Amino acid sequence: MDALSAPFPVRHRKLSLDIQGNKTDIVICSYDDHFLVIATQIGSMGTTLHARKEEGVSIHPTFSVSVIFGKRDEPVLVACARQLIEHISNCGSSRPLVLSLGLKDHSVGTLRGVVTAVIVNRLW
Amino acid sequence: MAQGSLDSNGDITYPTSIDGESSAANVNAGLDRLRINAADENDDDGAVQITCFSDLSDDLTLHFQIIRLHKQIYAWIGCNSAKFGHLYAAAPTRPNNMVSVTSLLGGASDNTGSGIARRIVLKTGLNVVLACNIPKDSPMLEAAAEKKLVRKLIDLGYTKSKI
Repeated sequence: MDALSAPFPVRHRKLSLDIQGNKTDIVICSYDDHFLVIATQIGSMGTTLHARKEEGVSIHPTFSVSVIFGKRDEPVLVACARQLIEHISNCGSSRPLVLSLGLKDHSVGTLRGVVTAVIVNRLW
Repeated sequence: MAQGSLDSNGDITYPTSIDGESSAANVNAGLDRLRINAADENDDDGAVQITCFSDLSDDLTLHFQIIRLHKQIYAWIGCNSAKFGHLYAAAPTRPNNMVSVTSLLGGASDNTGSGIARRIVLKTGLNVVLACNIPKDSPMLEAAAEKKLVRKLIDLGYTKSKI
């Protein structure tokens, strides 16, 4: 099988759903060393966060979440990334997550909706 | 294409189909249906379109992934692997439409992707987020990847006017 007939090396999943009255497009991609999740209601990637599991010897893993682009004063966005990276870790993967959230509202209900939709359609 | 014949008035008439409707009307109705279907497939402006393709060049395989959002393009370029690479954001910025680029992840000392991101914005006018794992110090590979990506963006009809 040559390179061009091999399947594309990055798996992805795309979905569109209504979260708290706002149409939300979600794309989930699986790279060799990262997961990328884009959830947008505004037509652009919005705030981008990087979340990873810390190296450590403790039984309970710790996680680091940082905003790399966009709103740095929205704790809901950080919470969303934190929940997803913990889920990734609990499923057995150590890959970091790049999460882009372009949301119209930053309510807890929207956060829950996004997290649930991503987990149901996860690639990890 | 339906075969027509010239009548005495100099107009072209087309043979009618078995159910009595003119073939031209059928063709037009079919075209309308196609346009409606095409609009559904391309969705409204807000839908997300994902394009993935690979290209073999000089024993290296370049993988490209383009995710089109309504107001922004995300693109990933992979060189022989599916590693995420470094992440950059680039956009035309007011007031004089110059291009601004910033590194979001990695890439502090390696600007391979930032140049590509910047030139994509220059050539296409798009707001771009680019992830790229092309090794540094590979200008030919960088140029080849950029050319293919820009060509694809143009072919897909995603571009705005050049800056």
